[in-house]
Amino acid sequence: MEKKPKKIGVYICHCGGNISDYVDVEKVRQSVEGEDIVFIAKTTMFACSDANQRDMVEDIKANELDGVIVASCSPKLHQLTFRNVSIRADLNKYTYVHANIREQASWAHSDNKMGATEKAIHLVKAAIAKSRYAEALETNKIKATKAVAVIGAGVAGIKAAISLAEKDTEVILIEKEPFVGGRVAQWDSLSTTTESGKDMVKRLYNELLKHDNITIMTNSEVIENKGSVGNISLKVRKTPRFIKASACHPDDLKRAIEVCPVEVPDEFNFRLNNRKAIYKNYPSEYPQIPVIDIKHCTRCGECEKVCKAVNFSEKEEILEINVGSVLMATGFDSYTPEYGEFGYATSENVITLPQFKRLIDTQFDKLVYNGKQIKNIAYIYCVGSRQTEGENTYCSRNCCTSTIHAAVTAKGKFADINNYHFNRGLRTYGKQEILYADSLRQGDIYLQSYEDGLPTVATEGKKTIVKINDILTNGREIEVEADLVVLVIGMVPRSDNSTIGSLFKIPKGRDKFYNEVHMKLRPVETVIDGITIAGACQGPKNITESINSALSAATKSYSILSKGELETDPLVATIDPEKCTWCGACEAACPFDAILKVENGKKVVAEINNSVCKGCGMCAPVCEPDAVNLIACSSKEIMSMIDALV
Amino acid sequence: MAKINPAFGKELNKYGAVNFNACYNCGNCTAVCSLSTEDVSFPREMVRLSALGLEDDIKASLKPWECYYCGECSTHCPQEANPGELMMSIRRYLTAKYDWTGLSGLLYKSLPLSLAAFILTFAGVIAFAFSVGFELDKMLKFGHLFEGIAIGTIGLVILMPNIARMWYFTILKPKVKVPFMKYVKSTSELFVHMFTQKRALGCDDNQFRWLEHFILVIGYLSMLFTTVALDWFGTTNLFVIILGYVMSAIVFVVTVDFVSSRMKKNKEVSKHSQPSDIFFVVWLFLMGLTAFMVRLFIDLDILEMNKWLYIFHLTVLVQWALIIVPFGKWTHFLYRSFAMYFAKLKE
Repeated sequence: MEKKPKKIGVYICHCGGNISDYVDVEKVRQSVEGEDIVFIAKTTMFACSDANQRDMVEDIKANELDGVIVASCSPKLHQLTFRNVSIRADLNKYTYVHANIREQASWAHSDNKMGATEKAIHLVKAAIAKSRYAEALETNKIKATKAVAVIGAGVAGIKAAISLAEKDTEVILIEKEPFVGGRVAQWDSLSTTTESGKDMVKRLYNELLKHDNITIMTNSEVIENKGSVGNISLKVRKTPRFIKASACHPDDLKRAIEVCPVEVPDEFNFRLNNRKAIYKNYPSEYPQIPVIDIKHCTRCGECEKVCKAVNFSEKEEILEINVGSVLMATGFDSYTPEYGEFGYATSENVITLPQFKRLIDTQFDKLVYNGKQIKNIAYIYCVGSRQTEGENTYCSRNCCTSTIHAAVTAKGKFADINNYHFNRGLRTYGKQEILYADSLRQGDIYLQSYEDGLPTVATEGKKTIVKINDILTNGREIEVEADLVVLVIGMVPRSDNSTIGSLFKIPKGRDKFYNEVHMKLRPVETVIDGITIAGACQGPKNITESINSALSAATKSYSILSKGELETDPLVATIDPEKCTWCGACEAACPFDAILKVENGKKVVAEINNSVCKGCGMCAPVCEPDAVNLIACSSKEIMSMIDALV
Repeated sequence: MAKINPAFGKELNKYGAVNFNACYNCGNCTAVCSLSTEDVSFPREMVRLSALGLEDDIKASLKPWECYYCGECSTHCPQEANPGELMMSIRRYLTAKYDWTGLSGLLYKSLPLSLAAFILTFAGVIAFAFSVGFELDKMLKFGHLFEGIAIGTIGLVILMPNIARMWYFTILKPKVKVPFMKYVKSTSELFVHMFTQKRALGCDDNQFRWLEHFILVIGYLSMLFTTVALDWFGTTNLFVIILGYVMSAIVFVVTVDFVSSRMKKNKEVSKHSQPSDIFFVVWLFLMGLTAFMVRLFIDLDILEMNKWLYIFHLTVLVQWALIIVPFGKWTHFLYRSFAMYFAKLKE
């Protein structure tokens, strides 16, 4: 600390009348110019103008000021501007103090000029009081591990991993399922591109293999998370495949699948058919090794007899990995309709859109379901989305396009198909509109209702009748006898989101998807430093949007670690180990998990993790022995500010 | 309760409808239509009924006749769904549905069938001419007789029952209750619209087209009156002779513009002309022209040449009277005015 008394400059802004119309800025200036540390007190028409900023720099340099105060608008608007002025005048930016006399005085009290002026004087005096103790601070620097764990190997995760690997970052790509590709691998045809989902996954997988710095871990799950941005250590549980790669001829593996006597519903085909306990979802699936579903395997040993690669002695492994950042790309679940919702599970002619898409992908010439040829198809939109009574109030974004794509595909592939779309307003935004136009031209019929007049599905004998009061036909009741009713189900957060999400303490929004810091300006960061989110785990997205967010999340994760060290804000809490008695109150109050319990050789005390602490101050008031000190908001500073205010 | 019939669109396409399925119900067409009102709004509603194939609703509606096809709707349609041409096609479809013989539908939907009918009637005329030894006097006498009989028979046997069917579809079947006195009081509506087509003036920038059409209607009706009632070809009355010349000249001169715009397809209304539209204007032109020439040849006393000219005129006349009037576009003269009359009854 310097001994000689501080010299500061105070600038009071007119804001072109926004302030000076209600606050007598000259009076404010006069009442503070006599303060001991105030060396210069000026008023200015626009403090933020280039001219005034230049004047401030000159004032600081000419008078060797130790700090400045600007009394103007909200610090959200211009604190950074004036901190930069300080830097240009060779001052530490933390010596700058801001007073808000616009939002808090002139605008708030435009009916009372005297009072507004009085309040402004107090606010500036409080700023002077703070300035008296404001110290030059340096940013904290932490060494960072230049590696990123990408969780989820769907298209978003794979694309993010590739993008990070291209920037010489070590990537560990962790996938819970035995195969990569996620939901996209399930689709044979995609809208607006001619490439199939499977081909797209194949292309991405081949790209993954080109990068030595990507480690792919399938059948693996994160079970523990420790540390903070820059230095995160994870424990990963890797379930074995029970099949040794390249130990056996592919034909033998095929035979092994054939001889397996166990059959379980095939989730990959949305339970339309069964699969074996040793399986592969489709021939070109990656990795190209089948897996034994050990939960359903009866250990009958049939597969072992025909294939040497089967190896039941493989053990579960727990791996420890260290990374600097985690990129979450865990995806979504499809909404499961309630029992009886639009005839779901109660009528044999009702299926979901994903099932329908698998159905048209796996059939040829004739479209047959339950042994019956399908001609009239009714699609019911927004099932599980835009609910007025349920919790899913959001729109799932991809389903309108996805349905129309399926309808156009079905009509093109099979003869005599009539498509009836029972919708609530279509959202085929952007280029997807072309698909809607195509479907109209091919004769698809769209019937529309509001949320209070949803269509009904009724079973009359073997017939399934869908009725609607169509708002496009003056609200007339219109019915369609459908051979197949397709429920257009939306996206919901994954059921295991709470497990992995709470492991990383990622906050969720009202829709229960992972939440970003700022929807527009920080769309892939979470409030947990170093954890970024990509793809549909954040909310419903189509492939294009998922890839977009994956690329930006990859860039964000990379930019945190690119220098190999992190700079963090010095405005954090500190603990006085002398006073601390470790009661745990601060740990409980901290929303960021920044407080650690440590043994310092003498006793157990709290310690602040600087890389995680946001300086929010939640810990300070709960500390009974007053061991917590908030840098730049010390008790000394705050108390003197309060004294100046009252 | 209404059941959708997706096959109906294909039926309408045979009557000339194009791409109306592309409609996404924005309603621009109805918004720009200068004849559509809040109570009687079209054409979007008719596009919708067509897309869903709600035939009974279409048959019960008078709206297709209340549109006078300025084409603004098609010009403004963002989907190029041609609502104007759809209304036109519905009018063709309705003409076919009103016709109890079913011949209108066959002729509208099949060009070969229409051509066959024209050839058949031509053969009939030649056979007749042959039977009277190509004598002009006999042919003229027969022609005059034919006109009278044709007007009476077709009016009684085809047109009146068809109007009755139109009344059945639009008033009786939808159970519209109309007191008897209203039928009497509203008759003025029928005649005003029949002779003036004043509703067409409501279309924006349509004054010239309306005037042309008005002159043509008056010219056509006067020519009909002059030839049938005043026996233009047989008379010696100078006033009648001149009247006939003027009226037939009006018919073939004015139709030149109609024929040329159908050929050039330069207006929204003529872009999608069907054979039936072309036959209508071309035959009207030929009727006026050949009638004018026949009388001219009589006055100039070129009898040998006139024999052949008259056979040509008679052919046009017979085809007009037996094909175009009962089963073709001519009927819009009646249906449009009756639609306005029935609409008044529904009010």
